[in-house]
Amino acid sequence: MIEAQNLWKHYGDHVVLERINLKVREGEFITMVGTSGCGKSTFLKLLLGTEGATRGTLTLDGNPVPDEPGLDRGIVFQQYSVFPHLTVLENVTIARAFEHSPLLGRLFGSAKRQAEDEAREMLASVGLASAEKRYPHELSGGMRQRLAIAQALIRKPRILLLDEPFGALDPGIRADMQELVLSLWRKHKLTVFMVTHDIKEGFYLGTRLWVFDKTRYDPQAPHAYGATITYDLPVGHMDRALYEEIDDRLHPVPA
Amino acid sequence: MKRLALLLALTLLAPSAFARDSFKVAWSIYVGWMPWGYAADHGIVKKWADKYGIDIEVVQINDYIESINQYTAGAFDACVMTNMDGLTIPAAGGVDSTALIVGDFSNGNDGVVLKGKKNLKSIAGQKVNLVELSVSHYLLARGLDSVGLKESDLTVVNTSDADMVAAYATPDVTAVVTWNPLLSEILSMPDSHKVFDSSQIPGEIIDLLVINTETLAANPKLGKALTGAWYETMALMSGKDKAGIAARTAMGEASGTDLAGYEAQLASTKMFYQAKDAVAFTNSAALKTTMKAVAEFSFDHGLLGEGAPDAGFIGVETPSGIYGNADNVKLRFDPAYMQMAADGKL
Amino acid sequence: MKRLVNLSPSRPWALLLGLIPLALVLALYLAGSDARLTENPNDKLLPSLEQMSSALDRMALQPSKRSGEYLFWTDTAASLQRLGLGIGIAAIIGLLIGLLTGALPAVNVALSPLLTVFSLVPPLALLPILFIVFGLDELSKVVLIVIGVAPFIARDLQKHTLEMPREQLVKAQTLGANSMQILFRVLLPQIMPRLIDAVRLSLGTGWLFLIAAEAIAATDGLGYRIFLVRRYLSMDVIIPYVAWITLLAFLLDMALAWLSRRLYPWHHKGAAS
Repeated sequence: MIEAQNLWKHYGDHVVLERINLKVREGEFITMVGTSGCGKSTFLKLLLGTEGATRGTLTLDGNPVPDEPGLDRGIVFQQYSVFPHLTVLENVTIARAFEHSPLLGRLFGSAKRQAEDEAREMLASVGLASAEKRYPHELSGGMRQRLAIAQALIRKPRILLLDEPFGALDPGIRADMQELVLSLWRKHKLTVFMVTHDIKEGFYLGTRLWVFDKTRYDPQAPHAYGATITYDLPVGHMDRALYEEIDDRLHPVPA
Repeated sequence: MKRLALLLALTLLAPSAFARDSFKVAWSIYVGWMPWGYAADHGIVKKWADKYGIDIEVVQINDYIESINQYTAGAFDACVMTNMDGLTIPAAGGVDSTALIVGDFSNGNDGVVLKGKKNLKSIAGQKVNLVELSVSHYLLARGLDSVGLKESDLTVVNTSDADMVAAYATPDVTAVVTWNPLLSEILSMPDSHKVFDSSQIPGEIIDLLVINTETLAANPKLGKALTGAWYETMALMSGKDKAGIAARTAMGEASGTDLAGYEAQLASTKMFYQAKDAVAFTNSAALKTTMKAVAEFSFDHGLLGEGAPDAGFIGVETPSGIYGNADNVKLRFDPAYMQMAADGKL
Repeated sequence: MKRLVNLSPSRPWALLLGLIPLALVLALYLAGSDARLTENPNDKLLPSLEQMSSALDRMALQPSKRSGEYLFWTDTAASLQRLGLGIGIAAIIGLLIGLLTGALPAVNVALSPLLTVFSLVPPLALLPILFIVFGLDELSKVVLIVIGVAPFIARDLQKHTLEMPREQLVKAQTLGANSMQILFRVLLPQIMPRLIDAVRLSLGTGWLFLIAAEAIAATDGLGYRIFLVRRYLSMDVIIPYVAWITLLAFLLDMALAWLSRRLYPWHHKGAAS
């Protein structure tokens, strides 16, 4: 489904990603870990279409990934993912309004009721059934991210991109959210790319783990070389020693 | 609290009538008042102040009304103004004021201008832009009298003098009343006609140096020094010699024009270069009649204050008699100092 | 004893502390007025409260001798109409320009330099041009307010639109929104409370230009009256007028703040997440 061939991304002289080659099949759940600034979020932006590759190709079903965001790729950010001026219900129905009302982006009458019914169902599936009239600022961080997920899924994207979606949540809530994402992934048969800081989360969730890291480093010119995918591991087939080795690379113990 | 009040009153400069030796005089730019600037800049005021052992500071104020307000509030001992403003601002404000020097009267310097029309009668129904409640307004009222119209036959639009020329340049302004140098500027625009001017009411718009009566009584030296300086400057500027031309050139330049422009304005101003002419004008019975007309106009427009029951509420003393309430005289025309100048006794 | 920076007075104290300077100014004024009036009962510079209330009574409750109008109210109506039109038009123009330049990079590139230049021009210095183009009547007064206020509103809204989290625009696009829909459903509603804030901030400037416009050429209005009676130093009219303008400005500000809280509760309670 998705394929990268010798993919490079620079910002001016600053090489962020280099020599990325990969193939992803439909339905995979990929988690991406790495130190900050290692390019995993940049890779997500390339998939999203807000950034373009400098060299090489990134294709979706054989065609280049479009150069702007679109319906087939849903996204949940760590924050600012929902619209603060809309209620929970409106945050979900607005996606249908965008679809059916190209000029105003508003629904009326039966079209509106239909969209609301559908949205209520989606909200129920993320556990927000009782909160539909509230505004985002009245929700907890976890509930806001549930809403963001419901919103992202309403137009049935094939690919769901998650950019550290639980980074700002408490550990207990995070576990619930991980369960939720897994169940939705199965239910909607999504292909998921998730960036995370938490290597445990990377090992626990999904089917495949990518570790982004630099293989070459020039202390005189720290930006001359970019990061690439240093490990590409099937999740669930991993021993403790490897986990610690990766953990050690990403979070070096100060000497 | 009492002390605070005193402090405030002092900082707001209630003028004290006691004998002093340091005084402040305000003037603003106008053809008939340019001599004050010249006299101050060329040491004439200082010479006369020194002669009487006092100190006179002559201050130019850019905003004419503000200078009168400042004088009325007590920040200045004397100030230049017209006879009408002298009555409606300091006198109506309870500040007993004396016209120390009658410098000139407008003899065409103020005028009514119509765009595209050639006689005053056609002003009826128009919007007329002028500085409301100023001598322009008075001139208009007198003009309307002469053709049997009333102010209610037209609409007066209060327009700042600074913007009068620009306002006249717009198509929807068709009638203005203003003074020089704005008047000549406006008349130079196409299809503009002067339909009435102050030469048709000679001697009614008078330019004065007004001084606080109590201050003058306590400090006759101030009156003498100012009068002396004024007539020395008059003698200088009226001369046909080089010095006279130089003085008029300097005054013209200080008022933002040149010698020719300034002389054109002087031509429509009846300057009293000789003290004896000013004395004769002040002594004439016509002055009292003029002040009556001015007081009636001012009363009709509410300028004498709401407490005023009639036009004669504020008394005006002239050598030919008092107009109005003799118990409430607040504006005095006193030729005594000008007479001293005429007699060469300064 | 706490540090001064940590010392915040409780509510009744705060009220009292706030009133003391005001009362002091008032007392100082009354004392000064009293002192001047003792010396000269006709003094006009610092009128007493009675003089001011009788002037106000005359202006607001008695028909004018010349026109039969209640001057205070016709002045107020004329000024509020000009201010309302001026600020309203400025708000619409400012909203359009701010939103479009903030949201659409192509429009931003085309208009930003002009907007920057425009916002730096002192409009009062260009009065003669305004007169020629817009005449001397109501229009030029409204235009003066618009020119004085719109660039500020436009720049403020442009800034806020540019500061809107990119994430929301990306999210809307992944939900299938086109540019129009992003403008109307995502950006515009979130900019509206900012517009009200900007209008509140620019009301002071609006009043300034209104009074300037009325001082230049007018037949009625609060600024017209103040500048007219200044000709004979009628502080007994000017001071109540100034107090009235202050009160009107305060009430307008309160009303806008209330409107904003009422219409956009999420803006006031919500953090930006």
